[in-house]
Amino acid sequence: MRRRGPIFLAQLVFTLFVCAFLVVPVILSMLAGLTVNYFVGIQSGLTLRWVGEVWSGYRDTIFLSIGIALACLACTLVLGVPTAYVLARRQNALARALEELLVMPVAVPGLATALALIVTYGAVGGFRTSWVFILVGHVLFTLPFMVRSVLAVLMAIDLKSLEEGAASLGASFRQRFFHIVLPNCRSGILAGALMVVTLSMGEFNMTWLLHTPFNKTLPVGLADAYASLRLEIASAYTLVFFLVIIPLLVALQVLSQPPRTKSRAKQE
Amino acid sequence: MRRENLTLLSLLLPAGAFFGAFFLLPLARLFLVGASGEGGFAAYATIITDKNHFASLIATLALAAATTATTLIVSGLAGVFLQRNEFPGNAALVAMLTFPLAFPGVVIGFMVIILAGRQGLIGDISLALAGEKVVFAYSMAGLFMGYVYFSIPRTILTVMATAGKLDPRLEEAARTIGASPWRVMIDVIIPGLKPAFISAGAICFATAMGAFGTAFTLATRINVLPMVIYTEFTLQANIAVAAALSFVLGAVTWVVLVAARSAAGGTVAAAG
Amino acid sequence: MLKRLVLPIAFCLTILAGDRDASAQGRAICYNCPPEWADWGSQLKAIKSNLGIEMPSDNKNSGQAIAALIAEKANPVADVTYLGGIAADPAKDAGVLAPYMPKGWEKIPADLKDPGGYWFTIHSGTLGLFVNKAALGGKPVPQSWADLLKPEYKGLVGYLDPTSAAVGQLGVMAVNLALGGSYENLDPAIKFFKQLGANQPIVPKQTSYARVISGEIPILLDYDFNAYRGQYTDKAPVQFVIPKEGTVVFPYVMGLVNKGPNAENGRKVLDFVLSDASQVMWGNAYLRPVFADKLSAEAKAKFLPDADYARARPVDLKKLGAAQKAIIERYKNEVN
Repeated sequence: MRRRGPIFLAQLVFTLFVCAFLVVPVILSMLAGLTVNYFVGIQSGLTLRWVGEVWSGYRDTIFLSIGIALACLACTLVLGVPTAYVLARRQNALARALEELLVMPVAVPGLATALALIVTYGAVGGFRTSWVFILVGHVLFTLPFMVRSVLAVLMAIDLKSLEEGAASLGASFRQRFFHIVLPNCRSGILAGALMVVTLSMGEFNMTWLLHTPFNKTLPVGLADAYASLRLEIASAYTLVFFLVIIPLLVALQVLSQPPRTKSRAKQE
Repeated sequence: MRRENLTLLSLLLPAGAFFGAFFLLPLARLFLVGASGEGGFAAYATIITDKNHFASLIATLALAAATTATTLIVSGLAGVFLQRNEFPGNAALVAMLTFPLAFPGVVIGFMVIILAGRQGLIGDISLALAGEKVVFAYSMAGLFMGYVYFSIPRTILTVMATAGKLDPRLEEAARTIGASPWRVMIDVIIPGLKPAFISAGAICFATAMGAFGTAFTLATRINVLPMVIYTEFTLQANIAVAAALSFVLGAVTWVVLVAARSAAGGTVAAAG
Repeated sequence: MLKRLVLPIAFCLTILAGDRDASAQGRAICYNCPPEWADWGSQLKAIKSNLGIEMPSDNKNSGQAIAALIAEKANPVADVTYLGGIAADPAKDAGVLAPYMPKGWEKIPADLKDPGGYWFTIHSGTLGLFVNKAALGGKPVPQSWADLLKPEYKGLVGYLDPTSAAVGQLGVMAVNLALGGSYENLDPAIKFFKQLGANQPIVPKQTSYARVISGEIPILLDYDFNAYRGQYTDKAPVQFVIPKEGTVVFPYVMGLVNKGPNAENGRKVLDFVLSDASQVMWGNAYLRPVFADKLSAEAKAKFLPDADYARARPVDLKKLGAAQKAIIERYKNEVN
């Protein structure tokens, strides 16, 4: 009864306002991408012409972004999951320091990381102009998110006993890792995976300096479009971006729902 | 034991090698490049000695702090509310609030223009209500709004997760001894949410300090440090100064993150 | 679970591998070739169909292009670059250009090219006011630089950032010369921009054609060719105004990047931009081609009358290049 009182109402209104603040510009932007003329407004009619122009002109950037995001996922899985495992097994000061170190690329501005990479590896011709250069930046930035996500789950379960139990039954390290550890941190891996993919798709700060005209990613293309093309095209481009990213975000949100099972108890 | 240590070490090797080669080494080089300009290592002091640079550092710190404070308040209120109250549409609201997580700064900048630009929604509303068009997209206020815009999604999940773990018995106990809802909030809920506030706040602060895309799109005469770094870089490629400033910016942000994590205690393995 | 990821990863790797095919044909990379500026979009298509060279567009401004060239000096990524005239000598001094005299070099007037062959003008434009009449909200179209300082235009004026865009720097010099200053004395311009600062200007860093068309920036210090494009190609309610106090005609140049990866293709591109086909295209994009006879009568008819253009003086590129640093420093320190 107390719940539905004035306090509840006030909080509800506040929350709705915040949601509106976040969602309304997105809707307006999507509309702008579908109107014939932004300045005139919706009265000028709706059209898919701009979306078509985006697709024909910027299709490559969309595929490249998706490709890099998936490659980034593969890398963070290979690099991050074992790291999380080690940090979970050895929870000492050294482990904490390592975790701190991993977070550095998030703290250091993307510009700096990109500059550092260019200054160090810019002379390696083939590397500099390939998409792998961009990938490296993305992996650096997203790795801590994968590690922390998996680490959170590993710390919530009693890893030690599980492994000891398996070891006492004669399981080798390899068997333990693939059959005990991985399945148990599945939810962490999934949440981390979605985080990595969405962050990679939206990464701009580093990619702006790392890209070459042949290697534009979606956010870089977006910046270009806003700068020099008609607003309707830039908005249509944003619309396409939303269409690609929203399913991922929904899945992320669903998978990181606050605890119903104990294995996710301390995920966040 | 020895064997196990070796196994663990070998598991760390790929990540370690990657990190060393592509982050530590380049950063070390950047540090040296920062000192390779005319001023030598004194370039690192320009952040304090040069009036423009110092002003932009202060502006960036202030902006990041204001963003963090506002975001935590907003996320705290909305997050706790959504976590605790079941009603139809709850999940949809949560989805809407975490939605802008992946937006690049460019898109955020454009959202700010849509809301507060010359033809923005807020301008139209204020024109209808007060007869004067309010346009603030191209000022610090617009940048602030953009920063809050992308910070809310980053913090709200953490807050909600922690809110879900708060022990309801503490609040009930407080109420039974006669505490008003306000006092319950101040004395029980907020302290309970402290770890979430610290860890989410740290990420929020770090992101706001280094954010570039939003300011770049709105780019008017806003002087935040990432924009200054970018300008130095494109100003006849003043790489040395750009490098020095980037390094300082990264160091300041990292120090804040570390301090926050030790304040929160232990390995706060929060996601996002 | 890992098995389920194999397919998407394989998919993405195939897409990325597909990128490799582009390297089989001719490629070239240009810095600062925005598709909508000077209709580079059509030029790039023509380069593809006439020369078989794939050259993607690039949205850097002159300052960003030079910075990138310098940062990549050890192993350049770009083959050619397009720069505002003011950035030409600074680029040469930074050592990022290589000399190349394309076909037709002899026909270029001496003051529009570097004697050593490091850069050459391909076309010029006149700086003025690019105005979206409909977005002015009923106010009269400004006719002079001084008009921009009037309070009625508060929040309506924009200009590109002089600290990085060539257009911005050129704007400063145009205003300077129009208001009585010289290449060495920048006081009138600095004073003007300080006063303009009180009128809440919008100062983007890159081409903002889209923002004028959408009405977000109703008055932009920009070139005549952008305004004509808006007016005649995009049929927007825009017009170009040559301010009463006068302005300047600015050349845009191109140069071969020193040690570019596809230097041969770069040279072919530079030959092309001086060819008849290309020069006529620049003319149709409302620029003044460096070979003035290539400006078709049809395009010329859409320009403002010659009487207005009499107020636009040609610029001294050498002095302009020398003044660039001062413009940037003074703007940064006194106006920003």
